[in-house]
Amino acid sequence: MNSYTNNNDEFVIQTRGLSVSYGERKVLNNIDLDVRRGEILAVVGGSGSGKTTLLRHLIVLTRASVGSVRVLGQDVSSLNEQALLALRRRIGVLFQNGALFGGMTVLENVGAPLREHTKLSDRLIDELALVKLALVGLKADDGLLYPSQLSGGMRKRAALARAIALDPELLFLDEPTSGLDPLGADDLDELVLSLKAALGPTIIMVTHDMDSLWRVSDRVILIGEGRVLGQGPIAELARSEVPEVQRFFQGPRGRAAQRQSVG
Amino acid sequence: MGNNTDNQQTDAVLLVEENSVRCTGNWTVTDLYALEQQLPGVQWPEQAMLTFDLHEVQKMDTSGAWLLARTVRNLEAQGKQVSLDGLSSGAQALLDLVREAGGVSRQITHAKRPPFLFALGQSSLLTLVRWGDMVAFIGEMGETAMRLLRHPIRIRWAAVLHELAQAGHKALPIIGLLSFLLGIVIGYQSGVQLRNYGANIFVVDLVGLSMLRELAPLITAIIVAGRTGSAYTAEIGTMQVTEEIDAMRSLGIAPMELLVLPKLIALLIALPLLTVYADIVGVFGGMVMANLQLDLTFGTFLERFDDAVSLDSYLVGIGKAPVFAVIVATVGCYQGFQVSGSAESVGRRTTLSVVQSILAVIIVDAAFSIAFSYLGI
Repeated sequence: MNSYTNNNDEFVIQTRGLSVSYGERKVLNNIDLDVRRGEILAVVGGSGSGKTTLLRHLIVLTRASVGSVRVLGQDVSSLNEQALLALRRRIGVLFQNGALFGGMTVLENVGAPLREHTKLSDRLIDELALVKLALVGLKADDGLLYPSQLSGGMRKRAALARAIALDPELLFLDEPTSGLDPLGADDLDELVLSLKAALGPTIIMVTHDMDSLWRVSDRVILIGEGRVLGQGPIAELARSEVPEVQRFFQGPRGRAAQRQSVG
Repeated sequence: MGNNTDNQQTDAVLLVEENSVRCTGNWTVTDLYALEQQLPGVQWPEQAMLTFDLHEVQKMDTSGAWLLARTVRNLEAQGKQVSLDGLSSGAQALLDLVREAGGVSRQITHAKRPPFLFALGQSSLLTLVRWGDMVAFIGEMGETAMRLLRHPIRIRWAAVLHELAQAGHKALPIIGLLSFLLGIVIGYQSGVQLRNYGANIFVVDLVGLSMLRELAPLITAIIVAGRTGSAYTAEIGTMQVTEEIDAMRSLGIAPMELLVLPKLIALLIALPLLTVYADIVGVFGGMVMANLQLDLTFGTFLERFDDAVSLDSYLVGIGKAPVFAVIVATVGCYQGFQVSGSAESVGRRTTLSVVQSILAVIIVDAAFSIAFSYLGI
C-alpha cells in the first residue's frame, strides 16, 4: 500500500490510504490519488462527497491522521512547521469566494505573499503585482480598488493573481467558475488554460461545472461517499458503465456539456 | 522554470564583462533580492551593442523575467541595442508574456494625497453626514418604538428575553466583582482620611453617596457598553457583511423591529436592575472594608446608612440608568449598521462603538451632576 514510484518528478501529489472521519461518519475512505506533473486534474463529486476535505489535505492545511500524503515529493506528516511553510509557498490556492483580504487594495493583496516571503523593494513588488494583474486580465487601475468594490468575476481574477504571485508549482482552484455568469465562466476557463500554458503549473481544480470539465481538464476524478468512484479523461468517464459514474455524467447537464464540446 | 527540483539556493547574479553581460543563478522570486540591490549600481559598458548571456541561468519565473525585461527596457531607453543569448524556450515565452503584461500595466496612477484644505473640508462634511445619519437612525428607532408601543403584541418578546439573559443575567458576576472592589477601594481611601479626624462613622456617608449617586450607575454603564454594546455592533455588523440585513429587508422584516428594539428594551430593563445590584454589592464592599479597617460593625453601618443616604440619592442613581441604556443600545446598533464590506470594518466599528458610548455616558453623567446641583437634589 505504501509503495511510491521512485520517480518523484512525475507525480507532484501522491496519497495512499488517506482516510478521514468525523466521529462515526467517514468523510474520506482509503483514497489513493496520483497527480502527474503538468496536468490539469479536476476533482468532482456531489455536495458532501468529501471534496473539500480532500482539498484541505492536499493544500497541507490539514494533516492526515490515517494514510499518507506526499506533496511535491515531501511526506507531509514528517514535516515540521518551518518545512510546511516552505512547502505552502510552492502551492497557490484560489479559494472559493476569493478570500481576498478586505482591508487591503487588490494590488496589496497580490503583493502580500511577495512582501511576506521576499525582501524585494516595494517598487519592484508593486511592478510584479501589476504584471500578475495583467496576466489575469485586470487593468492597472483595478489594483487600487478594495475587494468589496469588485464584481464577482473580477474578485475571482484578483484572487487568482494572488494565488500565482509566487509562481507556484501547484495551483489549486476551488470552484473557479461558481457564482459567475456563463460568459464570465467561459472567460475564466480560458484564463486557466492560458495561465497553464504560460506558467506551466500543475492545476488541481474542484468544480461542479460540466462545461469546465469538458473544456479545461486533462483528467477527472469522481469522488463519492468518500471513495474514488472513477477516474480518467472526461470522455472516458462519460462512457463509463459504472452506475454511480453514469448517474453523475449522464444527467441532463452532463449530456448538454458533452454535446456542446463534441459537436 | 520550476522543472528543476534540486534545491540549491543560488542568488541571481549579473556580471558585466568585456563584450557581454553574464547572468547566472536562479532568476526566481526568492533569489532576486541581491540582484535588485545590485542593479542600480551596475556600470554598463560604453558600447552601443550589448549581449546578455543567459546560458547559465538555472531557473526563471515571471518575477525574474520581469526584472530582466525591465533592465533591458531601461537600457534600450538609453539608446543601447540589447540582444539576449541562450534563453531557453520556456524562459523566452515567459519574457514575452511579462513584456506584454508590463506594457499594459506600466503606468499606475497612485491616488495623490489631497491638499490640506480639501481633506479638511471632506472630513468635516463627512462628520456632518455621520451626525445626520445618527439623527435619522435615532428618529427611525423612536418611530418604530412608538408604533410598537401602541401594538405591544408585535414586540418580539422571545428576542427581548434572550437579550435580557445575555445583557443582564450573564453580566452579574463581572459587575458584582467590580463594584465590590470599587466599594472596598472607596471605603479604604475614605477610612484612611477620616481616621485622622476621628470621624470614622462618616465613611458610611462617603461610600453610600458616592456609590449610589455616581459610581454604581457609571461603572455598570461602562461595563455594559464594553460587554454588550460591542456585541451589538459586532453582531449587526457581521450580519451586514453577510447580507443578512438585506435579506431581512427583502423578506419584509424591519431590522429595527427584529434586531434593534428587543436590544433596546432589554437594556432598558437590565441596566437599572444591574445598577441596583451594583449599589448593593458596592456598599457591601465598603461595609466590609469599614469593618476591617475602622472596626465599624455591620449593624452600626446600616443604622447610619439609613440616616445618611436619602431616598433621593438612590433614585438619582437609578434614574440615570435608563438614559445610559438608551445611549449604549443606540450607539451599539447604529455602529453595527454602519459596517460596510469587510471584516476590518466590523473591528473598526466595534471599537468606535465602545469608545463613543463610554464617552457619551460620561458626558451625560456630568450633565446630570450639573443639572442636579442646580435643582438642589
